[in-house]
Amino acid sequence: METQMSLSPNADTLNVTLSGELDSLSAPKLYDQLSQALKDQPNIKKIVFECQNLSYISSAGAGILLLSLDNFGHRGIDFELRKVRPEVYNILDLLGLTKVMAVSNA
Amino acid sequence: MPKYILDFAATPDNLPVIRHFVQEHLKSHLADSVRLNQLTVATEELCANSIVHANHSDPSQKLRLELRIEKQTLHIYLYDPAPPYALHKYPSPPKLLRTDTNRPGGLGIYLIRQLMDKIIVRRRGQTSIYHLVKSLA
Repeated sequence: METQMSLSPNADTLNVTLSGELDSLSAPKLYDQLSQALKDQPNIKKIVFECQNLSYISSAGAGILLLSLDNFGHRGIDFELRKVRPEVYNILDLLGLTKVMAVSNA
Repeated sequence: MPKYILDFAATPDNLPVIRHFVQEHLKSHLADSVRLNQLTVATEELCANSIVHANHSDPSQKLRLELRIEKQTLHIYLYDPAPPYALHKYPSPPKLLRTDTNRPGGLGIYLIRQLMDKIIVRRRGQTSIYHLVKSLA
């Protein structure tokens, strides 16, 4: 299974659909896609990750979300993770990501 | 006593193989999907550290992962030819961004320590042995 990302800009919000497994193999691709999308569309103020079909996240995947928050957050961009499965939420919570970005359960 | 063995080369391409191996063999012992995922994550993080940091992603290096279930207790063994890394020296809680690299660091080891009951690291001959223990009760 691979991680699939679809970036569909809507006004000032970038919607990112994650599915499959976000790990050390797929996480750098996510970061590259986010970087490119934000470069192409500098007016983005919010990134919404739809995570209903994200079945797995490793520390590398969580680390990329943190790195993105750090690198893009200073531009005033908010991060939100929606419909996160319990298995993934548990890992994000253990790592403290639920304290630094909006994360809601599936 | 169920015992499952996976031999693999030290390349990150094998990480999906490792986690699917864990899920396949432990799912019949764990009804709770969150707990099954926790053990999958802990095992992958252990192997990822050995692959990337101890063996520098050198595919000529061969490792062995072994899962044993004894009396409602899971034992995870990783046999690694590289010298052991200091599982106990990483900060807890992790630094979300390391001050030296300005990148997240130590998250995987933090997860292992959070998710497992016991961690034993020893060197026997030319092999480092990482032994993680978790009660399944």
